[in-house]
Amino acid sequence: MKTNTQITETIASFATEAESAWIAEQKALSGKALALAFVKAPRFVSKNILQSGAFSGWTFDQVVRLDLVIPLDEANLDILFETAEMQEAVALTRALPYLPNPSAFLLRATDAVRSNMGPVFDAIAFGNSYPRDYFQEAAWNQLVLKCIFNDKAIHQIIGLDERANQALANTLSDFAHERWSAGRRVPSQVWRLVPKFMNESLHADIEKLAQSENPRDVLAANLVKLEVQNPGSTQGLWHELELPEPIYIA
Amino acid sequence: MCQEHKTVGNPSHFEGTEQEKTTAHAVDGTFAQYTQGMKFFDPHVHMTSRTTDDYQALADAGVVALIEPAFWLGQPRTGLASFKDYFASLVGWERFRSSQFGIKHYCTIGLNSREANHEALAEQVMEILPLFLQKEGVVGVGEIGFDDQTAAEEKYYRAQLELAKEMNLPVQVHTPHRDKKKGTERSMAIALEHGIAPNMVIIDHNNEETVKSVLDQGFYAAFTIYPFTKMGNERMVEIVKQYGPERIMVNSAADWGISDPLAIPKTAALMKIKEVPDEHIRLVTYQNALDAFAQSGQIQESDFIHGLEIDQTQKFNGNTVLRGGQAPRVNKDSLIIR
Repeated sequence: MKTNTQITETIASFATEAESAWIAEQKALSGKALALAFVKAPRFVSKNILQSGAFSGWTFDQVVRLDLVIPLDEANLDILFETAEMQEAVALTRALPYLPNPSAFLLRATDAVRSNMGPVFDAIAFGNSYPRDYFQEAAWNQLVLKCIFNDKAIHQIIGLDERANQALANTLSDFAHERWSAGRRVPSQVWRLVPKFMNESLHADIEKLAQSENPRDVLAANLVKLEVQNPGSTQGLWHELELPEPIYIA
Repeated sequence: MCQEHKTVGNPSHFEGTEQEKTTAHAVDGTFAQYTQGMKFFDPHVHMTSRTTDDYQALADAGVVALIEPAFWLGQPRTGLASFKDYFASLVGWERFRSSQFGIKHYCTIGLNSREANHEALAEQVMEILPLFLQKEGVVGVGEIGFDDQTAAEEKYYRAQLELAKEMNLPVQVHTPHRDKKKGTERSMAIALEHGIAPNMVIIDHNNEETVKSVLDQGFYAAFTIYPFTKMGNERMVEIVKQYGPERIMVNSAADWGISDPLAIPKTAALMKIKEVPDEHIRLVTYQNALDAFAQSGQIQESDFIHGLEIDQTQKFNGNTVLRGGQAPRVNKDSLIIR
């Protein structure tokens, strides 16, 4: 379904009468006035979390803000990005894949990956198709590694399996060695990134993992071995490991 | 003020009994026992200049929400971009930093009086103010007003009062260190001249000399507990005893100078020791500030009173535990750092 139709339907089914009226009024605007409507939106529409539909998991004001930024010119979008308050930054980041010319905003997307504000980083990393569709390999790997480094659960990244690559698997091995030397651990589910790219070093890592006292690591090692023997056979089996694991639980 | 008391011989501003004085000195470092169960709202504190140690101390002392007014940085900015980035940091990075400690961070946005004197730049700053003033969590125009009381300061004070009126936002007014009494009167007269309701204006940095007129004219009177240059908290207790709690609020204005972010909890403890009623303490250290700035429509007590709600984006896919690696509380007494 086209994005615009999805947005229209979502707004129609969740908006109150007053909200619909305000949205319709704002959509008639353009340029700076439209940008200001984006800024003011939470004063006029709710922040309820949507439980169903195409934007399930979004807040209602984020969908409204998406609706308002799609027709916005790039100069005003730039102003919004540069002056964004935290929730605005989240809304803009979530909107990236829906903009008319998404590739023009690559730097905004990689800046969101660099962000130290948790919610902004999460908005590009999780449930967002932009990185899968527009990131070069280095930027993609940076995103995945930053998730792992910050102990965020990587299964929420869209395109995780299809964008897996040799460089990422190799870096993951180095990263694991650093963590192990420091007496810290690596979240078990990250090993799902390596089966297609096994080499001597990774084989050794998996063997070490299989000897771990942590049953989650043992499970991860078994899943990797199974996947290497029979590609595609472990789909769905990683589910048990799909959660954040603090680094200090050795 | 200070000098007057010195001539009396006894330097202390402490006007309580000897017993109270002994107690006050005995509780240094353990004042928190007097503020058990209290919660505080600091309506003026420059967290950008403070460390995470301060955030941790504020959270431990019961500060649940605060307002960071836009001010100068100790030296003048040379371009619009640094203003823009500063405002953006008040609604962005600082807001997030505060949330990590469970403290709700609001701000006021404005062109401060000192930099109003740099007119070419001031004009550019005025252009971008409306954009920031309408952002979520921006609870007023501030801190604005007079420093040297120059013509340029007056010009931009008036222009920003108009913005506040247009956007129906409270105004946080900085009053000057020098020639304070006249500057305060002038600030109030100009606000009234612009048709701003006095209950929408918080006159800041009051002292014994200014408070009566501010309250009599219907404005909110804020007091900054800041060592040496502004109010001491013993004097503050006497003011609350004398004037009662209505429309009075206490703040720390802690910044990059020698200041104390715990000024509010410490003042609350002192009020408790000096037998100010609990309800009066609550009003001047929490409720009045909340009421004054909630007139912006941008503060809901429910957003912070039961702890900060986990950010909505972090509930994505029903997963509420995405904050791994971002709960930076550390045991500060621990010798071992992991």
